[in-house]
This record gives sequence, C-alpha cells and structure tokens, in this order.
Amino acid sequence: MADEARKKEILEKLKNAVIQYDEDACKEGAQEALDAGLDANEAIFDGLVAGMEEVGRLFEAQEYFVPEILMCADALYAGLDILKPHCQQMDLGVKGSVVIGTVEGDVHDIGKNLVKMMFDVAGFTVYDLGRDVPLDQFVDEQLRTDSELVCLSAMMTTSMIGMPKVIDKIKAKNPNCMIMIGGAPTSKELADKWGADGYAEDASNALKEAIKMVSFLKKLRDEKAGKK
Amino acid sequence: MNSRERVLKLFKGEEIDRVPCFSGMGNVTETGINKLGYKFAGIHLDAKQMADTAASTYKMFGFECGVVPVDLCVEAEALGCVINVYPHAEGILYPTIKEKLIHNEDEMEVKIPADLARRGRVPLLKEAIKHLKADIGNEVAIGSYVLGPFTLAGQIMELNDLLKLSFKKADKVAKLLDVMADAIILVAKEFEKAGADYITVREMGATTDVLSPRVFKSLILPPLKKVISEIKINSVLHICGKTNDIVTSMMEAGPTAISVEQKNDVAETRKKLGKDALIFGNYDPYNVLVSGDENLVRSTMRKCIDDGVSAVWPGCDIWPTVPPQNMVAMLDEIKKHGGKK
Repeated sequence: MADEARKKEILEKLKNAVIQYDEDACKEGAQEALDAGLDANEAIFDGLVAGMEEVGRLFEAQEYFVPEILMCADALYAGLDILKPHCQQMDLGVKGSVVIGTVEGDVHDIGKNLVKMMFDVAGFTVYDLGRDVPLDQFVDEQLRTDSELVCLSAMMTTSMIGMPKVIDKIKAKNPNCMIMIGGAPTSKELADKWGADGYAEDASNALKEAIKMVSFLKKLRDEKAGKK
Repeated sequence: MNSRERVLKLFKGEEIDRVPCFSGMGNVTETGINKLGYKFAGIHLDAKQMADTAASTYKMFGFECGVVPVDLCVEAEALGCVINVYPHAEGILYPTIKEKLIHNEDEMEVKIPADLARRGRVPLLKEAIKHLKADIGNEVAIGSYVLGPFTLAGQIMELNDLLKLSFKKADKVAKLLDVMADAIILVAKEFEKAGADYITVREMGATTDVLSPRVFKSLILPPLKKVISEIKINSVLHICGKTNDIVTSMMEAGPTAISVEQKNDVAETRKKLGKDALIFGNYDPYNVLVSGDENLVRSTMRKCIDDGVSAVWPGCDIWPTVPPQNMVAMLDEIKKHGGKK
C-alpha cells in the first residue's frame, strides 16, 4: 500500500497531466499508480476526473477552448486505458448503461464524445451509436439494451429537429428512461417542450450535465431502494 | 424603391427608406417546396428546382432576396468528398459529407483539382443562379454563399483532428487553410460570373465558442482575408456564436458587411463599429421564427432594428418548417418599424 505522500504525488501528477494535456505523463502517472498499489478507481476519480473538472473551469473562464479540451480528453483516455482493467467491481455510485449518438443529418460528434467520456469514467456501459444515426436506431437500441439513459446530440439547428420524435417514441415505450439532449442549438426551453430530462448547449456544459444526471440517477435509485 | 434597389443601395452605403429583410444563407420554406410539388432532398440536385424553391420565399412572403444553394456541401463535394442528400428521408435532412478527403494528418497536403469549377455541383449552382436571376433578378438581389476556409477544412477532414492540430501544428493547418481559401475563391468567382449580387462567406466553424480570439486572429483571419479580397462583388462575412470579441477582426477581414447571430449583442457591436458599418443580424431563425408565436416574431424584429442592425437577417439558415404566418409577421413588422430612425 502506497504511503499518503506518494499517493498524493501520483494523484497530483494525473490531475496535472490531464490539465496540461500531456498524454505521456498521464500514462506514466497511471502506471505509477498501479505500481504503487493505488486503488484504480481512486486514481481515476481523484486524479483524472479531478483534472477534467479543472479543465471545465478553465473553459468557463475562457482560458481554454475546444482544442485544449479535446487534448485534455486524449490525455484522460491515455490514463483511463491503463487504469480501467484494474478497476475493482466496486460501487462507483451509479451503475448503468447509456445509449448515445448524434442524430441523423448531423456528423458532428465532439460534444457527444466528451459526454461519452464522462460515462466511461463513471463506469457506465456505453452503447455509442456514432454519428448521423437514424432516429429509430436510438429507440431500438434503448429497447435492446434496456438502458436507463439516452443521450441525443445535434450540433446544427438543421438536424436537431429529429429529437422530439425520438424522445416521444422512447418515452412511449419506456417512460422511466431518462433523455438528455445536447448541442449548440438546444436550449432548456426546447428540452422542456420536447420532454427531455436534461440538456447541455456546449461541451463544457455537457460534461457538467452528464455528471449531474449521473448523480440524479443515483438519487432515484437510492430512493427506490429506500422504499423497498 | 423595390427590394433589389433597397438592398443594393444598402451595400453601397446609400440612403434607403427602411432596413431590408433578407438573408445570405438558406431560406427555402416547406410551404414553398410543397406548393411547387418538389421534395427537399431533390432540390439540391436540380438547378431549376433549387432556383424555383429559392424564389418562392420572395414570391410568397416578400422576403427580399433569392439565395442558392440550400446546403453546405458544394465546395467539399467539388474537392472530392462524397455527400449524402438523404433521398429517402421523410422529413427534412440537410445533405452531409459521407466520405472525407483527408483521413489523417499525413494526408493534409491536398491539391485543388484543376477543373474544380466543373466538378460536383458547381456547374449546377451556376445554372441555379442564372435561373434565379432570370426569374426574380429585377425585383430582388441574388445571393449565394461559400464556406470559410476553416469551416471547409472541418468538412474535408475530422473536425476533432483539425481543432487539435490548430493548436499542436498551427503551421500545418495554416497551409491547409490557405489551399482551402484558393478553392473557395475559385468557386466564388464562378458564382460571381453567373450573376450573383452578393456572396456570404460562412465561417461558421470558427466561432469564439470553439476557438480563442487569439487563434482566430493568427489562424482564421489571414485566409479569410484572402478569400474576401478576391470577391469583387458585395461580400458578407458570417460567423456564428458569441462574436462580440471578434467583430473588429471580422471587419478587418474586409467584407462589405458582417453578419452575426442572436448570441451577439448588436447594440454593443454597433457602438464598437460606428454608425456606418454594415451589420446584419441577428434573430434566432429557429427559436423565434419557427417555434415562436407572432408576438415574439414582431418584438424580436423590433429589437433587431432598435439595436441598430443595417438589415434584419437571420442568425443561420431559416428552418424550412417556418410557419407562413410568422414569415408574414416578420415582413410586416419590418415594413412598419424599419423606417424609423
């Protein structure tokens, strides 16, 4: 078991590697974490995710822009790939599965991929349908996988119009499934009007929303468990 | 003063009776398409259908222009990308790029095909502009658009890679953008020759929501300037997103007018750029024009005018399912309110 000082040093290294989009340092840090006997989940959450949270803050402060976020995400994945196989089947708070994709008519997937990353680190099973996905495929995949969450993304006004159709179809078949919409043209008003449970207008908000939805799901489950 | 005179005088900076209501981006309506008996997926591939549909927004509602194309894939297709027009889609889906030209960093040194002006739908677009000109060219100004270099680059390669490389290997991206600028100039020249009165350069991928103002200045602006300096007719530079920090740079690129969307604070932009700058904008073409009611449409038009736009103009393509009564309300409000100083 690693001593506290060493542990702190490694977590700090992982966090900074993400912030400074240094893939190599992130790989090194991840390996050091394993070698020192750190818990892989802890390294992910207190190292990689902590770094990504700071990245979100830097984005909000307009110090970072989308290119930086993408590079930070690459660094995070470089560490995650090493740590993930060593994750204990411990309770990450929530477990679940999510269907995610960019709606038909849209080939932009940057926001979608960032949200996917949050679900990856949170230990979700992610069914990524990719981009330009025919609407019915979301409905089919949700039914097939019984996922509790579906995320629809659109970057262009011209492609988001398909969203309410998918939301209606999924909610008709499975009213408990939560739906998150995201992308530049979406808004809180549209999410409400279309019956979606969450929305995010840009990559950074998408990150925050994803984290929020994950905690909300956890709360729902806890409440359910409490009733039993 | 008819619509054509009004818009052309505006571009020249001459006195006009009221602010015009037009666009340099797509503005076809489902109402128009249905009346003509066409299908959305078909109008991209047929010059006459494209022109007829574009003209219908003027003919049915008095919208003060005729603009083709309708989609954003013309240049990328001419460069060799494969597009998807979703021929079997029930609703309205805009064409997208199915097959990119550049698949990795090593393929970034692209060459422009010598016959670019004859490739893809460039000839079809020229036809469409000529049709449009013959049909309504005496009554309204005829517009066309091209993409900006960065936006085009984001179509022929993965946007994800392009954005990262803009940071990691800016010189490589700068080189690619310069080639994109040359390709765009070739296409714009063809549209000019066909008789367009104005060309909008849509650099929609380079918003400050995505790139820092610093990168905008160092990487995006130089090729943009190059494109605009080669457009001899009226040019409008459109950039999406929160553009307040870059409006001065946008003007510096040298267009006749700039176009900004609803996230721009136009009153502030007007203050910054002075009374003579041509600023077009800036209503939300979906949340106001399509899903808003008549009152919201009217109040938004008044706000655009009061904030000081030179022409009331949408922040993006007008979404085709726009309710006819909202188009009518928009034009009516601008006619009523647009002459007040």
